[in-house]
Amino acid sequence: MTAPTSQPDSGERPAFAHASEAEMSRILDFYGVEWRYEPTTFPILWNLDGEVVESFSPDFYLPDFDLYLEMTTLKQTLVRKKNRKLRRLRELYPDIRIKLFYARDFRAMMLKYGRLALAESLSGTPGQLVGGELTAGVMTENRVAASAAGPRPVDGGEPGASEPSPSEPAANGVVPERPGTVVMSTTGSARREPRRRRRRGRRAGATTPAQPAPRAD
Amino acid sequence: MRTATDLQADIGEILLTEAQLQGRIAELGAQVSADYADRTLTLVSVLKGSLPFMADLMRSIDRPLRIDLMEVSSYGGATTESSGLVRILKDLSSSIEGEDVLIVEDIIDTGLTLNYLVRYLRGKKPASLRICTLLDKPARRLVEIDVDYIGFTIPDQFVVGYGLDYGELYRNLRFVGVLRPEVYSTVG
Repeated sequence: MTAPTSQPDSGERPAFAHASEAEMSRILDFYGVEWRYEPTTFPILWNLDGEVVESFSPDFYLPDFDLYLEMTTLKQTLVRKKNRKLRRLRELYPDIRIKLFYARDFRAMMLKYGRLALAESLSGTPGQLVGGELTAGVMTENRVAASAAGPRPVDGGEPGASEPSPSEPAANGVVPERPGTVVMSTTGSARREPRRRRRRGRRAGATTPAQPAPRAD
Repeated sequence: MRTATDLQADIGEILLTEAQLQGRIAELGAQVSADYADRTLTLVSVLKGSLPFMADLMRSIDRPLRIDLMEVSSYGGATTESSGLVRILKDLSSSIEGEDVLIVEDIIDTGLTLNYLVRYLRGKKPASLRICTLLDKPARRLVEIDVDYIGFTIPDQFVVGYGLDYGELYRNLRFVGVLRPEVYSTVG
């Protein structure tokens, strides 16, 4: 099994593949959270000759939290594909902590920061947000859970936190760790996804209309 | 000028009634009172959203306590473009070195602001530093933070009222409600 490969940190601002990633980098910078962009590539599928035919490079790594962050602000068909890759990653690398950040998560974050117009402006652009699916995810649950008596830490078992299904993103993108097994391709038909076109993330908010003041959480 | 009645019309659903809020806050106050039985507590409230919660929580704690207020800039605000970094808009009024400090928050979702605050306050060397939040929205968490007291864990919905705002409005509602999506969808 080929080991994950890591890119050295060049110290330069990377060329983000999507404007949403550039925006996320600015948010992390704003709050002083250290990050690296696509620092590690995880092989997730090999052919019978042992060659890597599919790999996965999560968008961000937050070293202070030992956490990978994958922005999935794509249309639903691509979300399913990414969910499948994430499931493979989880099987093969059970110790890796990774969180999916769906389109609706990005939209909710922009709403909170008074930059909803940015999220809306990304709709319909290549590899970007799709408005219809975003709206559906915001107002679905109707549960409120009072905490049990006594102080307690927050963990993944809180009400409202659930594992995302392969085809339907759940509210919480936390991927629980599970014992994994290495699975080899038996057909050789696995396709490597085309490398995303790299482009400089555009300056977010430069052309967006006025929005309500942001809310601090 | 919009009236309170108009604002309530923007609420799609009441998530937490005034009675539910006050009942739970009384429980939290009792817990905090028990946990800090022999100590003098300093409550640090984070402006502006936590003001109503702070006011009610402090009155439900039956122990000697001090209060202080902080405010930090939020991403997307007027200060964002100038520095690109979070700023302390209002710092503590007095030292917390050696004090038992409890951060009082209205809501935790991404955890980014709180993570920054915790790091900042730890630098001031309090004897202890714990976190109390009225609302916890774990579905939105980006960075994990241990929260010591949680009022309610809420679903992934945009809520306003009882200090929480949208465009600086709705803070004065006595309940926590879910804002109708058409309210923010039409802005801009």
